[in-house]
Amino acid sequence: MEAPYDDRLLHQRVVGGDESALGEVYDRLSSLIFGLALRVTRDRVIAEDITQEVFLVFWERPLAYDPERGTLRAWLATIAHRRAVDHVRAEERRRVSALGPRLFEREPVRLEDTVLAADEAQRVRQAVTSLPDGLREAVELAYFGGRTYRQVGEELGVPEGTAKSRIRLALRRLADALAEEEV
Amino acid sequence: MDPVERLYLDALMEDPEVPARSLRPQLLAGARARRRPAAPTAAWAEPYAGRVAAMDALLASAVDDDWSRIIVEGWTLQELVAHLAAKDGLLAAAVGAPVLGPPIDAVDSLSRTNDVQAYERARSPEQTRRDWRAQADALCRHLAGLPATTPATLDGLEAPVGDHILARCLETWIHTADAAQTAEIRLPDPIARHIHPTADLCARLLPWTMLFSGMDGSGRTLHLTLTGEGGGEWRVPLGVEDSAPGEPDAHITADVKRFCFLLGGRGDPADFPADLEGDLSLARDVLTAAPALSGP
Repeated sequence: MEAPYDDRLLHQRVVGGDESALGEVYDRLSSLIFGLALRVTRDRVIAEDITQEVFLVFWERPLAYDPERGTLRAWLATIAHRRAVDHVRAEERRRVSALGPRLFEREPVRLEDTVLAADEAQRVRQAVTSLPDGLREAVELAYFGGRTYRQVGEELGVPEGTAKSRIRLALRRLADALAEEEV
Repeated sequence: MDPVERLYLDALMEDPEVPARSLRPQLLAGARARRRPAAPTAAWAEPYAGRVAAMDALLASAVDDDWSRIIVEGWTLQELVAHLAAKDGLLAAAVGAPVLGPPIDAVDSLSRTNDVQAYERARSPEQTRRDWRAQADALCRHLAGLPATTPATLDGLEAPVGDHILARCLETWIHTADAAQTAEIRLPDPIARHIHPTADLCARLLPWTMLFSGMDGSGRTLHLTLTGEGGGEWRVPLGVEDSAPGEPDAHITADVKRFCFLLGGRGDPADFPADLEGDLSLARDVLTAAPALSGP
């Protein structure tokens, strides 16, 4: 999937050493990146450090991102997720070794380039099935069926605007559902 | 990215989490320390400062093997960077900006390139990167206080410094593209605002590339359409003595970036993708002559 025009332009500017473009990327995506890191680490200070580092890495090595291969949002989220998971695993290892000698080495888990571990993805799917039918159908068509807002509206027999607001409402419910499970 | 991931990110964006304090000022300060932003300079020199920053971004990812790989002209990446520093240094000398590296002995590009490459071979690639960047930034800072029309002589060619710096921009861009190709990295284009003046220089060079190729274009006019971001329309008088363009004799339509690269010696004029109209043999002559001023 190619990146939208905005992503391309911001990327061109960051490669050309334009600091204000980095500021714009930060303004647009920092709360997402912070939220993602916070959900994995459950530590606001660590999540802030990871957020900072994600944007610094993008600035320092902007050519590692290729707009032909995906959105900037997905790229930064993938880095954030990887760093957050690394942090959690390092913490676990520290805790385990503090408890004494280990009887079993944990299987090393391969780090996928993803923003969601398999169990988290399962939780997202689960949360979708728990949505009220009207919202669930809209989300399934838009995300799993690849439909546009207009097509979702046509298939559900509602105006495009209604389809759009159902999807947004569904996203908010999903966010709440996922946040609740973490507590 | 798979649909569940996209859904997850969209859901997170609906439920924004905000750090206790803004990390923005800290981020920008940290960023400056990790990779220097484009040097502040005069508006007309910004396309060059931007290409320097882009080359620096490419060099940030270079590892040991990359530095010793041959890029162009039989030069390694380190030697190529030294070559850029050599030519930047000559322009710096021509306008009274600080010249870094070995003291200037010869003032032609090839001899200066040999001198700077010999000097840099004794240094680490990371030092070469720093030396080149320091020279480029010193030049940018100096240009901030000069008018674009300030005359400067480089390789015996006197021209306004504004044109010389656009030529440096094009060369830095092309060599960054050369290095990116070797490293199999996709290099994004400069922004349109930086491409356009570079393309304008290339259009204005056409009478000279014709002259250098032994072709007489005097009294003839080319209508040049360059497509893509940063492109535009030009009416170019093809004789160096011509004071103004006349009615177009030929029309060339081509991609702006490919056209700039053709002037910079990248691409074969014989199979250059372009639409030609009007006097076709004149249009073909223009393309054949286009790379005439490109050197290493």
